[in-house]
Amino acid sequence: MSEELDSFDRFSLINIVPASRDFIRIEGEKCAGCGACVVICPMDLWKVREGHARLVEDYREKCMECGSCFITCEYGAIDFSYPPAGEGIIYKFA
Amino acid sequence: MAKGYDLIIVGAGPGGSVAAKTAAESGLKTLLLERSRVPGEKNVSGFGLTSKAYRDFPWLHQMELPSMRVGRKCVAHILSPPPELAERICLYSGTSRRISYQEGKEFFTVMMLRREFDEYLARQAVAAGAELRTLSLVTGLVRERGKVCGVRLEGGEEFRSPVVIGADGVLSTVARHSGLREKWRPEEVVSVCCIDFSASRERLDCVIDDATFHGFFGPGIGGNYFMCMAEGVHLGGPGVGNSLISRLKRRRIKPAKELLDTIKAPSTLNLLKAVDAVPREWQAHLLPWLDRMPTNIFGAGVMLIGDAAGLPEPIWAEGVWQAMYSGRLAAEAAKEVIDEGDTSFSSMQRYLDRLEDSPVGRDFIGGVQMRNLFELLGDPRVLGELTEMMVDLFVAMFMNGQEVHAEAMSRLLPILAENLPALLEVGRVYTPVLMEMYSQSLRDKLRLLKSVGAILSGMTSDLDQVDGDGT
Repeated sequence: MSEELDSFDRFSLINIVPASRDFIRIEGEKCAGCGACVVICPMDLWKVREGHARLVEDYREKCMECGSCFITCEYGAIDFSYPPAGEGIIYKFA
Repeated sequence: MAKGYDLIIVGAGPGGSVAAKTAAESGLKTLLLERSRVPGEKNVSGFGLTSKAYRDFPWLHQMELPSMRVGRKCVAHILSPPPELAERICLYSGTSRRISYQEGKEFFTVMMLRREFDEYLARQAVAAGAELRTLSLVTGLVRERGKVCGVRLEGGEEFRSPVVIGADGVLSTVARHSGLREKWRPEEVVSVCCIDFSASRERLDCVIDDATFHGFFGPGIGGNYFMCMAEGVHLGGPGVGNSLISRLKRRRIKPAKELLDTIKAPSTLNLLKAVDAVPREWQAHLLPWLDRMPTNIFGAGVMLIGDAAGLPEPIWAEGVWQAMYSGRLAAEAAKEVIDEGDTSFSSMQRYLDRLEDSPVGRDFIGGVQMRNLFELLGDPRVLGELTEMMVDLFVAMFMNGQEVHAEAMSRLLPILAENLPALLEVGRVYTPVLMEMYSQSLRDKLRLLKSVGAILSGMTSDLDQVDGDGT
């Protein structure tokens, strides 16, 4: 049990049907590079590079659709809408 | 031509399904739209259905789901500051005989999986006559003459109805497209992560039994919780009570890291080991967490319920009962306004009025003041002092085999006196909670007096009229 927790891998414990289109959009010019999205994302999908927030390329395979980045961004640089019907995160034991 | 209904409900969570069930039972032609393949697969919560839900929806007593475990006890573990996280005091409590209704005297919550629960409720809605359409993502609303009168799905398909209920959760599309709310502010939501574990039913029966909720708190610890179902355990947190903004401003600790760190507390880890827990799913979501009852939750032809309306209560952000309750109120209001043929803003106002007067609305009384109290109790220094005070009192009174008993017992008053500053600080923040409660009940009484006054003055004017007629 404790070994399993030490090697706890979030990504191996989620079940996602990758979305067929983007559902997070970034308006780069509005981003102030504050890094709030980096702190708040439960999957660590954001980085700040050269003063701007960047989302990992393969976010559609990792994002849990919590919307934390969208709510947290006070500059309106991140927009989030739900992925298409039947796609995205699927919880079996929630 | 868009297909027409009396009522469209967006989102088949507990709120949406109860709204659909209520509406269908009242004779409305009801459409319930859900973006996932099966209701429940998009929802997250370490979920305990509180006894209030059984009080208000008696048909729930017939519900039997494989994951259910009845919680008749709650446990609060107060730990020492990190990195030790050692158990300092543990309060194990049954239900209180002072609770005002029978179910509340008998149990706290019934733990279960949302996946099973949401599906069960959606089936109830369908059995009542509502039409459930899964795999349907609402991306826009249809409006006519300033009123919402339908929804648009991704792909362009439209459905029409004089009233639309937004039951689409914390990131509600209906709220956004109706213009009621673009998005919550960061201080209005909390971020919750959960790890779901499979666990042995036998071990759970033996180790946990009906103590299905364990909370872990302590000075400098965000706090997490442990919820036990029939064959599984949810570990959730971290730092319930840290809004996104306070997390960013004060802590800047990543939520996932904080939760994983708190598992290292021996009391958490040992409990997990004792029930043979094996991690099986990682979950994350946001909850609205307001300290005042939200009012911007309806418009002409549209109402928001549950998380979409921001109704989770201000302390623990419990939201399922609130969603169900508001769903029923919204469906009842929808039936009335449709029968009256008036879906204007002022006609829809009845939904908010009833919600404010309901136990859901009343749970926000003193919300602001309670937040202050909890913030103080979350202060590492104050909580540290109070924890050690409780340990000192407990050991001096009951557990002292180390010294002369009478001497240890005589220490009680000095211990209290020594901790007077911390106790006074708590009192200073607790008093406003009481004052808010009393002033609210005073306002209720005044309102009652006013309405009695209005009836009386109505009677006198009737009398005047009688007099006038008589002369």
